[in-house]
Amino acid sequence: MTTLLVAKQILMAIYSKYEVYITPLLKFLLALVTLLMINSRLGYMENIDKLTVVLIVALMCSFMPMNFIVVAAAAFTMLHLYKFNLETALVIGVGFLLMFLLYIRFSPKDTVVIVLLPVCFLMKIPYVIPISMGLVGTPASAVSVACGVMVYYMLHYVIQNATVIAAMADEETAAKLKFLIDGLLSNKEMVITIAAFAVTVILVYIIRRLSIDYAWTIAMAAGAVVNIMVLLVGDLMFDTNVALFGVILGTIISFLLVLVLQFFVFNVDYSRTEKVQFEDDEYYYYVKAVPKVTVARAEKKVKQINTQRNARPVQRTRSTHES
Amino acid sequence: MLNEERIILMTQMASYEANEGKKNVAIGSYFRSDYIGWQVLKSIISATIAFVVVFAMYIFYDFEIFMMEIYKMDLLEFAKNVLFNYLKTVGVYALISYLVYSFRYSRAKKSLRLYYMNLHKLAGMYKSGRS
Repeated sequence: MTTLLVAKQILMAIYSKYEVYITPLLKFLLALVTLLMINSRLGYMENIDKLTVVLIVALMCSFMPMNFIVVAAAAFTMLHLYKFNLETALVIGVGFLLMFLLYIRFSPKDTVVIVLLPVCFLMKIPYVIPISMGLVGTPASAVSVACGVMVYYMLHYVIQNATVIAAMADEETAAKLKFLIDGLLSNKEMVITIAAFAVTVILVYIIRRLSIDYAWTIAMAAGAVVNIMVLLVGDLMFDTNVALFGVILGTIISFLLVLVLQFFVFNVDYSRTEKVQFEDDEYYYYVKAVPKVTVARAEKKVKQINTQRNARPVQRTRSTHES
Repeated sequence: MLNEERIILMTQMASYEANEGKKNVAIGSYFRSDYIGWQVLKSIISATIAFVVVFAMYIFYDFEIFMMEIYKMDLLEFAKNVLFNYLKTVGVYALISYLVYSFRYSRAKKSLRLYYMNLHKLAGMYKSGRS
């Protein structure tokens, strides 16, 4: 445990020292992974399905605000869908627009979840997000999580039925729209997942705020269990064929991941080095405020194993021999 | 002369203004009614656009059947229905945004209280420095 705590302290020290580079790097990596995943799943437009384009956009994301990643991901998705089929682009575009108009403008902080959740879905560990959002967010984060789930299932539906949509004749615009809207609205698996994740977020939030020992760990465990329960009950009620083993394994892995995140990220104040400028009547001030971070390294105990060569003990031994 | 205590206070305040206090300072510059009214107005516009989009999709969804039935249906009743649904949607959304923005305004004001106290303290420091 001491080693872990020391590791945490060292991480804090490194982060506060190199924050200027670490944050853009993380943004770059998130944007890169997201855009590569979009290209690999939807790559219909060849112009943007190139590593150079992805790298340039990811690089732009690294120094723009976090929400720019969401905008870039939405733009890539829409361009691919536009190339694939106009009706599909229209339906998905309306979905994105409604999310933006009705929710995202309310809580721009949580927006990144909408990108993170589909990425985690593809990695088979989507359960990380509701548990994490319960720990660091508010009950309103349940709506962000729901938006993320909707985005994933909308795109998943399009990818699954790509051949059917492509096979429909160009004149069948109304039929295509109907097929897409019906498919998206009657997706029971999506509804159950939204319900499970919303319950998880709210439950984790309520438990972690209780004034009991290990509230965070209990909240995470309870969230994981409830998530599995709701998914299974939903599966029994609506017969959605949820992969039981996958859900349980995914939840266990997610729980462990959140445990690590909680130790290294959520509970730690990564106070940053700040550069501020201000002035008064006499001076201009350019201040660089560096947080004081003390790394508590493990104490080193020196154990002496050689015999002591002091004069006194030797004399005492002699005297005992003599007596 | 540089006053160390004053610089520390100013640095803390500048840091607050640049980070977590950025939005609060912006909100604090409005009167309560102005801020909430403006935000609710924006919400009503958003909800109206959203309603129009959903309504358009609803029409397109069954366009042929809709075009066939448009001659048979009572258009006034249909328009009344649409208007009622519009008012319901916008009303609920405006109410939610009113509650959210009222909460945000009071939270911002609360957070700014310490900032304003520090501002007074700083003014006091300057006064005593000059006298």
